Amino acid sequence: MKTQAAILWEVGAPWSVEEIDLDPPGPGEVLVKLAASGMCHSDEHLVTGDLPFALPMIGGHEGAGVVMEVGVGVSWLAPGDHVVFGFIPSCGRCPSCSRGHQNLCDLGAKMGGGRQITDGTARHHARGQDLSLMCILGTFAHHTVVNEASCIKIDNDIPLDRACLTGCGVVTGWGSSVYAAEVAPGDTVAVVGVGGIGANALQGAKLAGAKRIIAIDPVEFKREKAMELGATHTASSMTEAVELIGQITWGQMANKVIMTMGVGSGELIGQAMALAGKRGRVVVTNLHPALESSVTMSGLDLTLYEKQLVGSLFGSGNPRADIPKLLNLYRDGLLDLDGLITRRYPLEGVNDGYQDMRDGKNIRGVLVYD
Amino acid sequence: MKSKAAMIHGLNQEWSVEEIDIQAPKKNEVIVHWRAAGMCHSDEHLVTGDMVPPQEYWEFMGLKDFFPMIGGHEGAGVVVEVGPDVTDLAVGDHVSASFVPSCGRCRYCSTGRQNLCDLGSQTFIGGMITDGTHRHFQKNGEPVTLMAKLGTFSEYACVATNSLIKIDKDIPLEAAALVSCGVATGWGSATARAQTKPGDTVVVVGVGGIGMNAVQGAKMAGAKRIIAIDPVEFKREKAMEFGATHTFSSMAEALPAVMEMTWGQLADRVIMTPGVLHGEMMGEGMSLAGKGSTVVVTAISPMTSTTASINLFELAMWQKEVKGTIFGSLNPRADIPALLDMYRSGTLKLDELITKRYPLDQINEGYRAMRDGENIRGVIVNG
Repeated sequence: MKTQAAILWEVGAPWSVEEIDLDPPGPGEVLVKLAASGMCHSDEHLVTGDLPFALPMIGGHEGAGVVMEVGVGVSWLAPGDHVVFGFIPSCGRCPSCSRGHQNLCDLGAKMGGGRQITDGTARHHARGQDLSLMCILGTFAHHTVVNEASCIKIDNDIPLDRACLTGCGVVTGWGSSVYAAEVAPGDTVAVVGVGGIGANALQGAKLAGAKRIIAIDPVEFKREKAMELGATHTASSMTEAVELIGQITWGQMANKVIMTMGVGSGELIGQAMALAGKRGRVVVTNLHPALESSVTMSGLDLTLYEKQLVGSLFGSGNPRADIPKLLNLYRDGLLDLDGLITRRYPLEGVNDGYQDMRDGKNIRGVLVYD
Repeated sequence: MKSKAAMIHGLNQEWSVEEIDIQAPKKNEVIVHWRAAGMCHSDEHLVTGDMVPPQEYWEFMGLKDFFPMIGGHEGAGVVVEVGPDVTDLAVGDHVSASFVPSCGRCRYCSTGRQNLCDLGSQTFIGGMITDGTHRHFQKNGEPVTLMAKLGTFSEYACVATNSLIKIDKDIPLEAAALVSCGVATGWGSATARAQTKPGDTVVVVGVGGIGMNAVQGAKMAGAKRIIAIDPVEFKREKAMEFGATHTFSSMAEALPAVMEMTWGQLADRVIMTPGVLHGEMMGEGMSLAGKGSTVVVTAISPMTSTTASINLFELAMWQKEVKGTIFGSLNPRADIPALLDMYRSGTLKLDELITKRYPLDQINEGYRAMRDGENIRGVIVNG
């Protein structure tokens, strides 16, 4: 079939929205009519080259839609089912999946190539070439074909333009606070960077009972938004925050620091560690440039104050458990998804949306399809 | 296809080895040639009724009759036929049984608790866990159900892929059979559930096929003292080979000794693995546990019993905890291969667990030996 998709043909180029050819789903695959896609910073990382994936690639990995057709061997999805895509697949069989770390599913190894999980070939083609898919999903498109391992079935009453956000940013931020940082009642938590991830780290910290939540962002609009999402204090930089946190904690500093910037820098880790007190934990959730290989920080503080530096992917959550769980929290009014969406764009507006993101105008922009 | 299978027709009856007919596997099912089956106490619990739901529950469970049932839930074998659309297993694959299925999709599977997979609720009802219909039939044409939907006391069985774990072909199938239930359950009770730490004092009550592996698990986790309690001398001797440092024939005999050797602090972990756990044994078990200790309940208690003799004042004031466990709180798909790799590297004893091997026809002799305390584990071997 023919459909429309936004393709990145080379690093630094704009997204090109054009008609593509889409093959029917193969074994274990499903055809999904997408309803909406979040515009996550990770897709921007494709454009900047921080994420060195195989191009040409259809962007987008925060998607939700309706199953239209299933391939042979698909046993638990049927046409008409509503699904959110997990940006990392979960097979349910490998050691990581078996031990409650679906975010580290062995199938994740297939993501860089961006071709179908089953046989490594492409179902998407344009200009006579095979196309890769961001996170083997390609949600900047009206339709896509993906493996059932990437699909999480959800209840039909959840609006898809909000549900799509739980495929990446919401669980990543919320889980960074709840699972990776293990925020406990009474904690002081600093969240560095209030975009689509950080906004949800704030919400997670609040639900976990943090006493003080300090949101750090240079953009005033985002600091204001942060106060709506649970922050108790804001600061425009880590330098400003170190003084603030020192004052409000009587010098004990933060129990948890969560790094959710647009892109991380090894040179800033020392500043982040300085926000954390004794036994404080710094969670690195944001991406760093692929070729970066050093960080600047005090090793002595690490030992003498027993500070911890931990990485987190997908907020250390499990897509099949946490996407439905967070959608239930949304339903119960304990998680704000509506307030996360700053602007909606049609597929053709993808470049405008990313410009707004770069200009700091959006917490989350969402592509909404008819 | 035809197969020989050992089934029971009702409470307190002998196992009856009969010919059955097995239909072809459907979607997400395979035919397994069971090559080895462990004779676990839980199958005996079917005979005695400890694990048989009361008749008034049957209708609620969608059962016309609980019997006849083909026994056996510890096993390993070879896949000989696959149903349509089966992608994760092929003919010739070696597989371990997993008495709790793991779908890999439900909330529990998704959070590292495959032992609590939602499909587990289907293992006591009739028919396959895939679609509820039957594949196994007696000579008279009536369907027969399978213990844990595995029926390893049959030469062949039709089993859902959700209940099978693929294993490497260099692993002896007898070893895999033991790991599939008893070894994992006992080992995990001491490690994953009791969280035994280096230097701990651990008491294991009952050292049969489960308890012996709790002893192994406690040893591997670095316990300083491991006290094995069993009335049967042969088992106490065997426990010393598996890592116990002390043995006693009863909890009453153990109490003053454990108190003395710990300078009054008592055990950090107590693991309850007798053949059948009666409520009045819990008080004695908990009296062996010290401040801040953990008592793990692994054994099967009679299904309808609802009381246990526990001193709740001590539970609160000494901050003790009582924790239940199924499958040692392990994840079958990760931990069955992991335990078999420990066996391969020599850190887990499996061969020593097997006291005697029996052909299927001698299953009643094997269970008599178990009841008489002659076996740690008897194994049924099919050629």
